[in-house]
Parts: sequence; C-alpha cells; structure tokens
Amino acid sequence: MERKSILNLIIIFMFASLIIGLLNLGILQGSKFRRLSDSNCIRLISQSGSRGNILDRNGDIIVDNKISYDVMVLSQDLNHIDQALTLISRILGVEVKELRMAFKKNFISSSVPVTVATNIELKDAISLGEYKIEQPSIIVASKPLRHYPYGALASHVIGYLNEIDRWRLTKLEDYGYKTKDIVGFGGVEEKYDYYLRQEEGGLSVEVNHRGKFMRVLGFQPPRNGKDVVLTLDLKIQKIVEENLSGKKGSVILMDPFSGEILALASYPNFNPAVFVNKRTKLIWGLFNDPDAPLINRAIGSSYPPASVFKIVVASAGLELKKINPSTRFVCQGSIMVGARKFSCWDVHGSQDIFQAIAHSCDVFFYKTGLLSGAQNIHDYALKLGLGRNAGFDLAGETSGFIPSPLWRKINKFQNWFDGDTANLSIGQGDCLVSPLQATNMLAVFANRGYLLSPYIVKAVGGLDLSVKKKRLTGVPFKKSTFEVIAKGLAKVVSDAKGTGNVLSTLPIKVAGKTGTAQVSRGATHAWFVGFFPLDKPRYAICVFLENGGSGHAASVMAKQIIEAMNNQGLI
Amino acid sequence: MTRNSFFKILILALIIATLGVLSIYSSTYQKEGTQWQDIYKRQMLWLIIGLACFFFMSRFNYRKLWDANYFIYGAALFFLLLVFSLGVIRLGAQRWLKIAWFNFQPSEFAKLAIIIFLARYFSRKSIDDTSLLSGKFGIFQGIILPFIFVAIPMFLIIEQPDLGSGLMLMLVFVGLLYLTNVRLKYIFILLLALILPLPFFWHFLHDYQKQRLLVFLNPNIDPLGAGYTVIQSRIAIGSGGFLGRGWLCGSQSQLYFLPESHTDFIFATFSEQWGFLGSSLLILMYYLIIRQGFIIAQRTGDSFGRLLAYGISLLLTLQVFINIAMNMGLAPVVGLPLPMMSYGGSSILVTFIALGILVNIDRTRNVF
Repeated sequence: MERKSILNLIIIFMFASLIIGLLNLGILQGSKFRRLSDSNCIRLISQSGSRGNILDRNGDIIVDNKISYDVMVLSQDLNHIDQALTLISRILGVEVKELRMAFKKNFISSSVPVTVATNIELKDAISLGEYKIEQPSIIVASKPLRHYPYGALASHVIGYLNEIDRWRLTKLEDYGYKTKDIVGFGGVEEKYDYYLRQEEGGLSVEVNHRGKFMRVLGFQPPRNGKDVVLTLDLKIQKIVEENLSGKKGSVILMDPFSGEILALASYPNFNPAVFVNKRTKLIWGLFNDPDAPLINRAIGSSYPPASVFKIVVASAGLELKKINPSTRFVCQGSIMVGARKFSCWDVHGSQDIFQAIAHSCDVFFYKTGLLSGAQNIHDYALKLGLGRNAGFDLAGETSGFIPSPLWRKINKFQNWFDGDTANLSIGQGDCLVSPLQATNMLAVFANRGYLLSPYIVKAVGGLDLSVKKKRLTGVPFKKSTFEVIAKGLAKVVSDAKGTGNVLSTLPIKVAGKTGTAQVSRGATHAWFVGFFPLDKPRYAICVFLENGGSGHAASVMAKQIIEAMNNQGLI
Repeated sequence: MTRNSFFKILILALIIATLGVLSIYSSTYQKEGTQWQDIYKRQMLWLIIGLACFFFMSRFNYRKLWDANYFIYGAALFFLLLVFSLGVIRLGAQRWLKIAWFNFQPSEFAKLAIIIFLARYFSRKSIDDTSLLSGKFGIFQGIILPFIFVAIPMFLIIEQPDLGSGLMLMLVFVGLLYLTNVRLKYIFILLLALILPLPFFWHFLHDYQKQRLLVFLNPNIDPLGAGYTVIQSRIAIGSGGFLGRGWLCGSQSQLYFLPESHTDFIFATFSEQWGFLGSSLLILMYYLIIRQGFIIAQRTGDSFGRLLAYGISLLLTLQVFINIAMNMGLAPVVGLPLPMMSYGGSSILVTFIALGILVNIDRTRNVF
C-alpha cells in the first residue's frame, strides 16, 4: 500500500474515534452528565441554629451563644473573587494576601461558599452587607458561637466543645453525627449533646455564572438546640470557685434531701473559650499539663477517705451492736494489733463514741473496726454509697474502691489480717472514695435515713426531670444510729477540742468530719465533709484539697465558703 | 475543478467559522463588561480579515513562497525570539506579542513557516521534475538536518511554554517525513531517539504540565485544579445529549462553569448546545475540508506544492483532532485552539492563509 493511503486510513480512523468518543459522552453517558450539569448550578448555603443554652437553677445563663459574623465568597470567576477580596480587605483592614490564602485553604467545592474571614465585627459586617448589590458574591453569614460569660466558671460541669473525634464518631454515627461536627467533650456538653445540639438548616438556590441568586429551590429552617437547666446555683458556685482558686482540689455542695448539686468545682480548671477560638497552643497546654486541668476531680478522682471513713466504722459498730453510746475505749496513743503497733495521732484517754468522732480518735476506731470485722465494714460502706457509682449525670464518674477480705483472697491470693482491718478502720490502705461519694454519704446523716442519687441536670428543653432524677434509697439503720453519729458530727465543730472547731465561730451551726489522708508521696490530702445548718440541714458540703495538708486546712476553706454564703443571705 | 475545490473549501470554512462566532457569542453574552460583550464582534472582524487573506493567497502564486522561504523562516524565528523578550504574559504563558490593539501569537505563524520550510527542503526547484529528493537522502540529509531546523523554533515554542504546539509540530514533521519517502528505517530511528529520552525530559516539564499529563490519566486526582476543566468540559459535551440543549441554553457554558469556553474549549460549548447530532456534523465538515486538502495534494504534480498541501492538511488534522480529543478528555489538556472556531485572531488568520495557499496550489496546478 502506498504511504498516502495508509495516512488516509489513519486520518479516517482518527475522525471515527472522535465520533465514537462523542457517542460515548453524549448518548451512552448523556443522562449522567445531564445530572452533573444540573447540580453544577445549584448552591448550598447553610444556616446554623444555635446550640442550647446552659442555665443555672434560677434561670441565670451560665453558657449561651453570641452571634459571630463570617465573610464568605461565592464565585467561580477569578476576576470577581479578586475584586471581592480587595473590597473585603479594604473594609476589614486585612491584607488581600491573607484573604487569598484563607480562600485557598478553605475552598471545598465551587458549589459551596468559601469562608475567608471569621468572627468579624458587627460594624464591618454591616458595611459589607451594603455592597450586596454591587458584589453579590460576598456573603456575610451570621453564625452562633459558644459564649462563656463567666470564663472558666463551672468549666468541669459544662465541659467544652470541639470537633468530633474518631471514637465518638463511630459511636454516634447512627444518631446523625457527621465528621467535622462540633460536639461536647466532658460535662453536660457531652452527656446532653444530643439535646443541646442544633440542627443545620439551609437554602439550596440556583445561581448564574456570577454566583448571583436566581431562585430558591428548597429551604430547611435551622433548629435551635434545647436549653439545659442545671441544679447549680450560680451565686454559690461563684463563692466556691473564688475560695478554691489556686488550690488543687474540689468542692461540692448538695441539697441533702433531693440530691441536687448546688455547686461543683474542681481546680485547676480551664477556660472552655480556648476551644471556641481554636487557640491551639493553649489547648495543647491543657492536654499536657501534669496537673490535668481537664479532669473533674470532684467526681472523676478518688482518694483515701482517712478519718471520714470513721463514720462508716461507727455505723457498722452501732448497727451490729458491737458498741453502744455508752461504750468507752481508752486511748493511750497507740494499740497493739497482732505484733504491730498502730498509733493514734494524739493521746485522748477515755473516749465514748461522741468524743471519738469529735477528736477523730484512731484507737477507738481500731477497736470498733476489729470488733465489727472487715467484711462488715465493707458491707456498711456500700450501704452508704461508697465503692460504687452514684449514677451521676456527668460522664467520668469513678466508683472508688472499698477492699474486703473476700476481694483480697480472690484477686491477690493473700490473706486478710487484723492489721488490714485496723488500717481500713481509719480509711487508709486500698480504700478509695471520691468527693461526690463522701458528700452523698454525709447527706444520709443530714436527712437521717436516705441515700440519694445526686444529679445536676434539672430540666432539658423545658421538661422538668427532677421527679425522675430524685431517687431515694432507704438506708435501714436504726434511728438512734443516725442520731448518735449526727451528734458526734456536731461535736466535731462544737467541742472545744473537736478537729473542726474552727467552724464554731460561724453564726450557723455546722456538723461535719475532717480527714487527713496519708499518701505515699507528697503532703497529706485534706478532707472536710459536713452539713449545715445543723437543725434543719439545707446543704451537704465536701471540701477536698489534694496534697492540701491536714483536715484543718479543708475546714478553714469550708468556713470561708459558709461565711460568704451567709453574708450573701443564701442560708 | 478549480472552482470546485475553491468553493468547497470556502463554503465549509465559512459554515464552521459562523458556527464558531455563534458559539463565542453564546459563551460570552452573559458576561458583563464590554470587553466580553464585544468579543464576537472582534472575532467577526478577524474573520473578515481572514477571508481577505484567503482571497489574496488564493490569487498569490504559491511558488513565490519557495523564494521567500528563508525569509519566512527567519522572520518566524525573529518573532519567536521577540516573544521571549517583549511577550505579554497571559494565563501563565508568554505567547503573545502586543501590537497596536491586538495580541499577536507568533507560534501560530511559526507552524506555517516550518511547513513551508520543510516543503521547500524536500522538493526540487524544477517544476517538471516531480520526483522528491528525499528518497536519495541519507540519514544526515534526510533526518538530522531538517530536524535541527525544526527543533530550533520548536524549542522556542515549548519554552513559552506551549508544549501542545511544540509536540504537534514534531508530529507534522514526522508525518511529512513519512510522506516524502524518507526511508522508514530512518523515521524509526528518529522516533526512538525522541521517545527514549522522554522519562528524562519529565524533569524538565513545568509543574503544571506534569499535572496536566497526570490529570489526563485520571482527571479525578485533582477535580478542582488541573482536572477541573476536563471534568467540566466532559459534563458540557455529555449533557448535550442527542439534540443538544439549544442555542444560548447550555448551563455549563452559559453559567461559566467551563473555563476557556470561547477559546480552547469551544467545542464543548458547541456540543452542549447542539448535541451529538450537531457535533458529529461539525466533525464531518472538518473531515471534508481536510479531505479536500489531501485530494489537492494527491493531484498536484509539483513536489513543493504537494508537500505544502500535505503539510497544511496534516497541521489542520492534528489541530482539530487533538483539540476535540482533549475536549472529550481523550487527550491531555494542551493549549491548542480549534481552527476556524476558537476565538483568536492569529489562529483565524493563519488558518485562512493556509487554506488560501491550499486553494492556490490547486488553481496553479491547472494553469500549468
């Protein structure tokens, strides 16, 4: 064949292949491309509702939202984008280069507006809005942002907001959560996220090549999240946090009849606003702080209860009739248990139960504990709500731990000795209690007979939950047991030598128990648990200071808190 | 016969150019600003100038190009060098010279100049001697020397950067070699010499060129960057369906989703509005024009005229094929206009001049 005919054939083949390509695109895949073409000129403009507010028991706002204005650019035409960016930069006083970089970074697809500046000021938003006709590609969108008027106040109760992580996403996907969603972490924000969270709405509109609005194709109104009302009292919470500030530890105030938490503070705390502003450096600092400011120490950490645990031992002794109010033990500063010497922190002489509680005499409780038996002490501790979850609203509650001979045998293959019983009787050893559990235990003696299940959320979206939340479990103790121990607790403060005597100067009568927990390293932990006013208890209180010294330090702080509450007429 | 090919080519070219103006109008009338509104008028003006050139060249004895050959080649080199120093940078490439009120693209003229040069190189001066020199050429005369002459302007064009035009010139060169009866062995040697170092040349490509080649293999690796045009253009062509969406009705080109909808991607604009039917008729018309070119070449006795006709036809073929194939995503995106349709004065002028030469070759043949 001649070369020119071969070339002719090649050319015919080339043009035939063009026709075949056309056939494939236009006829075989025509409907698919028609659909793609239609979706090209449709724009989605999202409108977000606002997340539910968090209020205190009186309806005062703890966390709400403020409107922030974002500038978005919607256009395909590079010339128009440049014009628009120049205009925006003139009004905001930001360099065009920065805006261009933001545009590049945030570009998702040509059908979605690109955010170039966030959180601009109201007056800038208004002046940009005036260019709506000239520059239709500029969109000023208002977006509610979480606002914390009190900064770090009650941060552990509230929690913070952040982008959803993988673990939560896999768990919550079925409930309509998507990647990049902002969800609550910790506290009420996490536990009640499903109610608090808003529903995105938006417009789908048809636009022309300049991004100019042609007509609305569909609209879904955004839905605001539901408000959550807490049982917290903002005034008490403020007093508590002012006093606790700067000391590691936690303070809880609870209604001893209903279980409503009136104040719950943990320090070190954090400012949830840093997560809203995406202050990466500060966030990183929070996660890497060795003091773990994100941990809610009031519910999430447990500590040796020390002398606070003597209340359990006393209850066991009285209920099991091993001791009675007239039983007296002599404290000579120490006692021999087996071959080991267990000492008391002082020499108290002859003590009855009232004095023993007031002076926190170790020898009295070594003897009472040894008479009652370790397993019984364990059982009574559980009856008083220790060693198990209280079923609290917030995530991250710890159950604490109460050892028993049986546990020791099964898990450690070791025998239980009398020395262990003696150790347990003063709340040392493996025994661990969280501040919330300690508060809850004291409430039983304040209300004389009911174990509460503490709660912090009063109502969600206008629906009062307190009826459902208020669960009272009867504690089947003799009435006299409550009275005897309550009298002892009152003497802690009123007795001149009582460990909590510092509180006696208050105009309000307080009952309570101090504790000084030995730790393997560092200073002792300081406890004060109690309730007040004595005759008609309205508040159960727990002050716990991590490595805060002796129980005296905690008593002093409790005194300051109660004093401030009294000054503000809250009692 | 003369009248015949003259009218065939003129009428086909006029129809295609008219469709081009309609498509340019439809893709720009929605845009604001007079520079966009007037673009179809400018194209019409170019068309009139182009037609004048066509009539002039069809009367102008092409044998004079033989004598002017070195001057034309030198002028093409001069303008290409001028682009380097004075060129206007548009769309990231330095391809244009600003002369008075229009932008002039020397690489378009260089394509024609190289074809004239090659036709001259492989043929004899005597009109009566119809045999070609190249059959007797050895490898140096047959391949290496012409390659050097082609490579210099080609290098300048590729450096602009305009990879598409440069590589197309190489293809025209190979095609002409094939038609001038240079031994196949030599052609294969040349092809091997060109293809083997390709992996090495990869490093010399600009990032955007690499990206385009990668995107050609899979447009979805970069749907918003380099792949965007291909995706949008395929959507435009595909959404046309069988009959098209009608003139001024396609959303892809009307609402400006398709970039370069009035220049390199005018085929997609056309296809969206006129559908499979219109597009295949358009392709058929292009084929008929090119077919005329080859027929003219085959019946021309003069070796210079024959090679010139072949070269012009090959140039048209490759431009049309590569442009339409890239519109459909079958070829990588290179900056090649669609002859007679795309907006652009230089392209229109050169195409009509080339068609004029083609007609003149046929006319002159009959005179002798």
